[in-house]
Amino acid sequence: MKDNKEILYPSLTRRLFGVWFRHTRVYTKNLFSNGLPPFLEPLLFLAGVGLGLGKYITQSMEGLTYIEFLGTGLLMTAAMFTASFECTFGTFIRMEFEKVYDGMLAAPITANNLIIGEIIWAGTKGLFFSFAVLVVLTCFGIIHLPQGLLAPFVGFFTGMMFSVLALLVTSFVKTINHFNFYFSGFISPMFFFSGVVFPISNLPAYVRPIAEMIPLTHSVRLTRAICAGQYDWILLLDVLYIIVFIFLIGYFAVERLKKRLVY
Amino acid sequence: MVFITGKTVFILELLKQVWFIVNSLQKTAGVLKFGRAKCMRQTAIQVKNISKSFGKVRAVRELSFEVEAESCHGFLGPNGAGKTTMMKMLYGRCTRDKNGDGLIDVFGYDPAKDELAIKYLSGVVPQDNNLDEELDVISNLMVYSRFYALAKKAAASRIDYLLGFMELSDKRTARIKELSGGMQRRLVIARALMNNPRLLILDEPTTGLDPQVRHLIWDKLRQLKRHGTTILLTTHYMEEAFAICDTILIMDKGAGILRGSPAELLSRNVERYVLEIAGSHRLESIVDNSILNRFRIDRTQESTRVYCDDDQLLRGLALKIENAHYFLRQTNLEDVFLKATGRALNERQ
Repeated sequence: MKDNKEILYPSLTRRLFGVWFRHTRVYTKNLFSNGLPPFLEPLLFLAGVGLGLGKYITQSMEGLTYIEFLGTGLLMTAAMFTASFECTFGTFIRMEFEKVYDGMLAAPITANNLIIGEIIWAGTKGLFFSFAVLVVLTCFGIIHLPQGLLAPFVGFFTGMMFSVLALLVTSFVKTINHFNFYFSGFISPMFFFSGVVFPISNLPAYVRPIAEMIPLTHSVRLTRAICAGQYDWILLLDVLYIIVFIFLIGYFAVERLKKRLVY
Repeated sequence: MVFITGKTVFILELLKQVWFIVNSLQKTAGVLKFGRAKCMRQTAIQVKNISKSFGKVRAVRELSFEVEAESCHGFLGPNGAGKTTMMKMLYGRCTRDKNGDGLIDVFGYDPAKDELAIKYLSGVVPQDNNLDEELDVISNLMVYSRFYALAKKAAASRIDYLLGFMELSDKRTARIKELSGGMQRRLVIARALMNNPRLLILDEPTTGLDPQVRHLIWDKLRQLKRHGTTILLTTHYMEEAFAICDTILIMDKGAGILRGSPAELLSRNVERYVLEIAGSHRLESIVDNSILNRFRIDRTQESTRVYCDDDQLLRGLALKIENAHYFLRQTNLEDVFLKATGRALNERQ
């Protein structure tokens, strides 16, 4: 009954590309409403700081002016937020409401392929969003090229980090409202405690270990060093953290979420 | 020395003999195997003793069936009978319970091991339309063609063909929201046909559609079958099952209860005629016991159905009932279905 020749279903790369391509097509279909906000957001932020808050902060932070300090942090928070939203609300809606995954899993794609494609797509969004911030910061002369061009790549990995975490959370969530806990309880605080708006060296000694444990701290430190062109061996630890985080949390996310897709 | 050589020659000779025997045995076995393979080619899907539990609920219970290649097989059953779960197990979207001797074979592949091969050979129309609403008709299909790694040009011509086949050519650039329910359904079917599947799986393909669209879809399915596609579908519509299925499996509470061609199911399981009378009637006062014994009566609060093989008897009965609307007709699959699965609702419906 079995055919002699093996069925030539698409290779792993092709399958992952298929998933990524689907998301890209859907995202770029509304290019204006999807593509403009990433550029507007940092503009508003810089306006707020430049016109108002910045006047009160004259002290340099880690050798940078405040606007430089904050700007380099924003490169990463943009990636964090977009990947987090994409893989919580976005994934949940695709899975439970739109039933998009039902269609995709009927094609030659395994649940693993689909989830990993999702992670790569979130990384891509992270890359695009930090690129948007980079463009704005460069226009205002806050970041200098060419070293700043490396920042979106850190954005890619930051996006992956937050997507695996978000997918892990999604695997537990029963109703979409539960995500509010994740955002108010985890993502928003991260904005303050990972060295984006002020250096973590100023935090009390007993809070610092916590700051070192959360993912955003490492992306921000890496990006800041890259933008300032100040490389240090200690940064390898940040790189290591990011890689281990993606693989470790990614493993659990895939294993758990898979059970919701193939049951 | 000579002696030893002689012995060696003897052993060599013996080995040669053994090799010859083994070889010819293998050949015979090969022929046998080939012969079997040839007659098994007729079977597209083989399911043996498959169960599936969700927690305490046993959605599918020890189900076995076979589907011939290039035929249309229908699953009938009340909501919650396990039809969708069974179909999902075929292409690896659901896992089956591990109970030793259970077996699923789709074109020689086991979904537990060769999920991708089965998916590559199949097209699936899920219960809910799940098109990408952000995209237009053609982009929906283009995105889907990437899942099969079709080259852009090949995909474009395949999509052209499919839109023509499902009579959607003038909707190429329409947005999904602009399509009617029937058009969306046809588009989902077109999408399932992207890779020219050998097996088409449809979960309630025509639920909620108007008769025109339903007949169009039936026609297309018949056409596909004629060109060698094996079709598997679930439905609640008895006339749909009757119209397009070669074989039917009636399921209830996860188990298969009746199996056969539509005609077989009718002749084996239900009387030829039924008289439907509005209102609940006591027939004992109207006809003799000798005649009453030849009837099978199914009574609800608002209707009475009298089943019998002899339409003359039913006609006679109809004339005796006063002031009641009645309708004498041939029995159909719905009668088989109600008889087999019972009239009362169960907890899963």
